[in-house]
Amino acid sequence: MFDFFAETCYTVAMIAEETLRILTESAKYDVSCSSSGSGRRNAGGIGNGMPDGCCHSFTPDGRCVSLLKILLSNDCVFDCKYCMSRRSVDVPRATATPEEICELTVDFYKRNYIEGLFLSSAVHVSPDATMEQLVRTVRLLRTKYRFFGYVHVKGIPKADPLLVTEAAKYADRMSYNLELPSESSLKLLAPQKDKASLLAPMKQLQRERAVFRAEKRRGSLLPAGQTTQMIVGASPERDGHILRLAERLYRATGLKRVYFSSYTPVVQDGLLPCVQSPAIREHRLYQADWLLRFYGFDADELLPAEEDLPPDIDPKCAWALRNLHLFPVEVNRAPLETLLRVPGIGARSAQNILSARRYTALSFEHLKKMRVVLKRARHFITANGKFYGAGDMRTVRGLLAAGECAAGARQLSLFDAEAALTARTGEV
Amino acid sequence: MTYFFDGSKDAFLTAFLLAYRDEDAFLTAGSRQLALGQQSVFVCADTQKARKCEARLRGFDTACMHDLDMLLRSGEDARGQIAFLYFRLIAARRRAVRGELAEDAVSEAIGCIRRVALEAHRLKGFVRFMECAGGALYAPISPDNDVCDLLLPHFRARLPQLPFVLHDVRRAKAAVWDGAHAFTAPLARADVVLSADEEGWQALWRRYYASVNIPSRRRLQQMKGYMPVRYWKFLPECPAQTADALTTQNASPARCADAPLPPHGSAR
Repeated sequence: MFDFFAETCYTVAMIAEETLRILTESAKYDVSCSSSGSGRRNAGGIGNGMPDGCCHSFTPDGRCVSLLKILLSNDCVFDCKYCMSRRSVDVPRATATPEEICELTVDFYKRNYIEGLFLSSAVHVSPDATMEQLVRTVRLLRTKYRFFGYVHVKGIPKADPLLVTEAAKYADRMSYNLELPSESSLKLLAPQKDKASLLAPMKQLQRERAVFRAEKRRGSLLPAGQTTQMIVGASPERDGHILRLAERLYRATGLKRVYFSSYTPVVQDGLLPCVQSPAIREHRLYQADWLLRFYGFDADELLPAEEDLPPDIDPKCAWALRNLHLFPVEVNRAPLETLLRVPGIGARSAQNILSARRYTALSFEHLKKMRVVLKRARHFITANGKFYGAGDMRTVRGLLAAGECAAGARQLSLFDAEAALTARTGEV
Repeated sequence: MTYFFDGSKDAFLTAFLLAYRDEDAFLTAGSRQLALGQQSVFVCADTQKARKCEARLRGFDTACMHDLDMLLRSGEDARGQIAFLYFRLIAARRRAVRGELAEDAVSEAIGCIRRVALEAHRLKGFVRFMECAGGALYAPISPDNDVCDLLLPHFRARLPQLPFVLHDVRRAKAAVWDGAHAFTAPLARADVVLSADEEGWQALWRRYYASVNIPSRRRLQQMKGYMPVRYWKFLPECPAQTADALTTQNASPARCADAPLPPHGSAR
């Protein structure tokens, strides 16, 4: 029936498995895995952009695999303290050729393993030489291999601005990692990098995108915009400081995302903590970041600059508890902006409420059916005049925190010394 | 009365016309245990009646046939009754009811449509093609809902020069792009001869998958939430094996026993 299954054999050059392992293991701490934002069309080759993005697999660490995340080389001349590829550490080194990367990308893509390429590199020889190789690879991928899938290029700090412009012609997204949330931490832990060398190319790309749009040229320049990443927990900055920095970046450089990477000790150094930063901190920062981008919050509303986000409740609940005088709100009358600020009501639930209440007065039963998280929302709303929450702040906070901790809870035992200690001290 | 129909759109619309005024009507495209004395009827598709019914319903809600298409693709046993109650409400109110989520019939139908759309979206990522000796691509899938042909436009747009077959092994059907035409066809079994390099690329992918994982962060629950275990069957990266190997530090990406296909193998 399917005559195209007829047998013809051919071979292509594959990257060595060990090279792939080395270059992937060095790249895996880059957090960005998003493949959204680009609607690049197929123009007679392989691949296209998917504006909503697509996850192709998930690894046991809970992260998605969307892009082929790989370094061109891990042979670095920089000596950043936190980096597993830094010059002064003795690890296996490998460098791939642009052709090997292109072959790998196209063959993985056509099997639907990946949505595109996330290409980065250690600073090999010099920033300009490395950036040239990155540009060569993406140009080859777009022109010779006719690949129209998603390409994310990580910019090399201190590279020539012309090379940055050239890379942007072929990439869907570019990113410069801020690495650490303050200049003093950057000086201490990444002495060869400075804030200006990271912010200058970001601002350059923002200007070039604005000019491109103003001139209404065909196609698009960096359709998926720019992102950045910073390590959380390797330096003493508080969450309030980090969120304010993220907010400034969204406003000043038009970034699409700021990624936070929970510090994992992969190298030993006296300047670095020897314990892993708790995952819950990263989680809370992402929740707060969502509130900044989609829920109309300002960093000033969420927390003071010199404080951390509370680990026991999410940032929206924490804000609502500090502002109990604004609640409860009536779901049948509250405007969208107010509904979005109610804990337990997300963007989709708010839209569903707006749509459904045009036809009938909503009750708690209706909200339950619409999958509003009543465990949180019931303390902050009335439905048809009815209120099912606990009145005072202390009780609400206790109930919300208990709900968050339920996952790690277990039955105490009289004969379990550790559990008995926990019960006595109240520490978990 | 229970109305059995064959799951097709025309048969549903014919049954809908018959059952509309029946207070105790139950429409089903599957099997159902009847109560003692309960009456049932098997409704065959009547094209003329179906077109008339379709035109009338479109008059109330122009997009309702898209909803029906999605509802009938669902693998849930109750899909016939969910669609019937939803369309009965459209006919009773004589307008689109999509936004009236406080109504049980609407929230059930919208939930069902969302589950079908979610699976189609997930499979855009979880489909794994294997390259055959002639250069064509073959991917076996086993979705809960009948979404095989919903995936066709997505892959046709990104692989226009490569012929491919999406084989729904559960429903014995295939969605095919031969480089010029897209169509669906019944396909109980496909014998495929894999290309010489296929095994090598799968091994590289397994190596990549094992390397990109951070072993010190173990969040299996989250992984399974995003990628339910029922989709792991045809994934060459063998997530189960990588998860198990986390207990021993060296995650070996060796080929797992239930990997999709051996070279020169066949899918049934």
